[in-house]
Amino acid sequence: MGGTLDTAVENAWCPGCGNFPILTAVKRALERTGKEQHEIVLVSGIGQAAKLPHHVDVNVFNGLHGRALPAALAIKMANPSLTVVVTSGDGDIYGEGGNHFVHNIRRNPDIAVFVHDNQVYGLTKGQPSPTSDPGWTGSLQRGGVISGPFPPLAVAIALGCGFVARALASDVDHTADLMAQAIAHKGFALVDILQPCVTFNKKNTYQWYGRMAYKVPPDHDPADRQRAFALSLSWEEKIPVGVLYREERPSFEDAHPGVGEPPLHARPTPEEAVRTQIRKRILALP
Amino acid sequence: MNIDVNIRITGGAGQGVHTAGGLISRMVVAAGHHFHATQDYMSRIRGGRNSYTVRVMDIPVRAGRAEADILLALDPGHLPHFLPGLRPGGIAVSDPPAAGAMDGVTAAPLKELAVSAGSPILGNMVGVGIVARATDVSLDTLDRLLALEFRDEFLEKNRKAVRLGAEWASGRVTDAFRLPPAPFRPRAILAGNEALALGAVAGGCKFAAGYPMTPASSILLGLSVDGPPLGLVFEQAEDEIAALNMAIGASYAGARAMVATSGGGFALMVEALSLAGMMETPVVIALGMRPGPATGMPTRTGQEDLEFALSAGHGEFPRLVLAPGSVEEAYELAFHAMEMAEAHQVPCILLTDQYLGDTVVDVDPEEIAVPPVRRRIVRGAEVPRTAEGRYLRYALTESGVSPMALPGEPGITVVADSDEHGEDGHLTEDHDVRIRMVEKRGRKEEGLAAETLPPLLSGPPDGDAALIGFGSTKGVIAEAREILAREGVSVTAVHLRQVWPFPSGAVEGILSRYGTAWTVENNRRGQLARLIRAETGRQVTGTVSRCDGLPFEPSSLAREVKERIWAERSIRR
Repeated sequence: MGGTLDTAVENAWCPGCGNFPILTAVKRALERTGKEQHEIVLVSGIGQAAKLPHHVDVNVFNGLHGRALPAALAIKMANPSLTVVVTSGDGDIYGEGGNHFVHNIRRNPDIAVFVHDNQVYGLTKGQPSPTSDPGWTGSLQRGGVISGPFPPLAVAIALGCGFVARALASDVDHTADLMAQAIAHKGFALVDILQPCVTFNKKNTYQWYGRMAYKVPPDHDPADRQRAFALSLSWEEKIPVGVLYREERPSFEDAHPGVGEPPLHARPTPEEAVRTQIRKRILALP
Repeated sequence: MNIDVNIRITGGAGQGVHTAGGLISRMVVAAGHHFHATQDYMSRIRGGRNSYTVRVMDIPVRAGRAEADILLALDPGHLPHFLPGLRPGGIAVSDPPAAGAMDGVTAAPLKELAVSAGSPILGNMVGVGIVARATDVSLDTLDRLLALEFRDEFLEKNRKAVRLGAEWASGRVTDAFRLPPAPFRPRAILAGNEALALGAVAGGCKFAAGYPMTPASSILLGLSVDGPPLGLVFEQAEDEIAALNMAIGASYAGARAMVATSGGGFALMVEALSLAGMMETPVVIALGMRPGPATGMPTRTGQEDLEFALSAGHGEFPRLVLAPGSVEEAYELAFHAMEMAEAHQVPCILLTDQYLGDTVVDVDPEEIAVPPVRRRIVRGAEVPRTAEGRYLRYALTESGVSPMALPGEPGITVVADSDEHGEDGHLTEDHDVRIRMVEKRGRKEEGLAAETLPPLLSGPPDGDAALIGFGSTKGVIAEAREILAREGVSVTAVHLRQVWPFPSGAVEGILSRYGTAWTVENNRRGQLARLIRAETGRQVTGTVSRCDGLPFEPSSLAREVKERIWAERSIRR
């Protein structure tokens, strides 16, 4: 990869936002892929996290709120040689886009999904997100969150996601390393990134995560699904960070009979092939 | 026109109504004739009261007819419902004892003969044998057709059932509806939805996604069958929202892409439709209409989503809305939609409905055009770059259409955003840039309008009245016009195959030539009449509306138009 990945786009994040270290980690992880800029597509939805792709000089598809995954899937299907990375927020991927999260893990396309999980809707000024802790007070739930939190890693493990990791935004080196592993993994790879929101989340702060987070011990076997599931649900006492679960399974692109070379944009439409399909409708008496 | 025989097969889902109807259709083509088949079915997997009507003529048939000449009721319990639709002197056949007790019904032991042939489920084939005898089509023809579908033991059982039916009918059923033998010509048998999918594939569609929804599921089926041999990849989406967002993603990566759905699914796609408008990604949406609101009547027909298709999507953006009026047009306009969506970088909606989608006809395969697909993606040296070597996805141009390069093109990056963006695709909150981009997208509508497909007219250029329809009503209105002409009423049929950009000039010209003009619409509000008023400032005389979930029918439409013209004249006097 030649040159810097920086762009000239004005940054719209709050000073101290957890998105800054995530941006640094994304750039480092992309540099480690060995890919050229034109071979990478960053896909996002809407929200402060979803603005990240504008600050990285690669191909960008900044779509609708919640809909990054379907677009990313199709980009990968259309041209599997592209490295497709989704980077968006918790409300985007787990809330508005929850159905796509579930079904794309089932499909297992070769895309890496980085979720900036700050447990709050920041851009709309502080409403609870699917991962907000019960009792947390948001601008639309002043009496505190009643619903139980969405456990993204547990859901991913339950669905057989082949790469399930949790990162801590403030640990840029470790986050970049997990991201690079996720991109290298062949299949749907989830990195849920614990991201402090300095403006709206006064509970899950840098200090709080500093106390709660610990690295998954080296003796953890990521192939142990039961153990990974237990770790994924650990939250109240301590929060494990690292690769929780890993499993190789065939990717969607490998399993889909039509996806592969050449990419869809390079496939011709020969008249004779169309005529062949038309001829199948002609009634010919034996 | 000498031959016009209408054959209706009725029964519950699972009784082989569709199989018998399809076989009779092929039988008449094999006998050198032409057909138009329509389906009326209920929303269930088994049972209910379904019908398959095959209208046979010695010229290509482009409309169905309500009154049956031959009624084959596989379930005698349906006779009270379908008998009023039988013409006087027509043949009705069903099982005893119910059939024997009814006037004008021939009691045929369908079940008994089916059991003799080897299985009680072969009642439909016994019925086909009776129809073959009534129409005087040779059993040899049916034997050969059955060999195309069945093998071994099943072939023999089916052949036996047909033979037993025909033998039973000898001397018991009139041959008043005999089809004189005509030379066999090779004809392609196509349903509306099948033709639409085939046209899209011929138009270079390489990506399709969808969530099953009646009456559009057969478009998805067509795409998944005809597409893969030409390199199309199909994926069933988890919901319609995903489907259109997927198609837009694929389009961004350079694939011609489409989705197919009905009103409810289209409602879910609306935000993504707006995304296609903002990102300027070419995409085609086939919208197979059915009666609403909400779930409505899932398996019936309607044209209630015209205004919805025209206005769907927040914000302002150009779009193309086409409305095929026949199986051939479904193919042609799907091809056209693929070309236009890419040429103008806009979403294109193909507005069809259950009636047209499920209509099956025979067409001349030589008349199906396969023009070359014209891709407009820029690559390599064609990619325009700034002095700094950057590619601008939304470069400002006179036409509003910017050269479209793809992610993966060496040396550049492609940035597409749902936010307002600058020429480079990156989000912006600059009001001056906003104005330039609004104007850029707006200019594309002018380019689209310049290529508007004009309405198609049939009949005299100076008739007493104009009948204006869009989409699937084309064949019915054209035949109603012929009926009226025979009765001395001179009207002109006007078919709008493009409803947006609206062909204002052409429609205005038509309205100025005719004293009276009615729109003919499968909706209550007269949505086309409202559109005509909005776009031309002219008010049509009225709307012939039908919103019972069924398609128009030529003779009843002609009757209603005649009454309207008389009423109009008496008012004027």
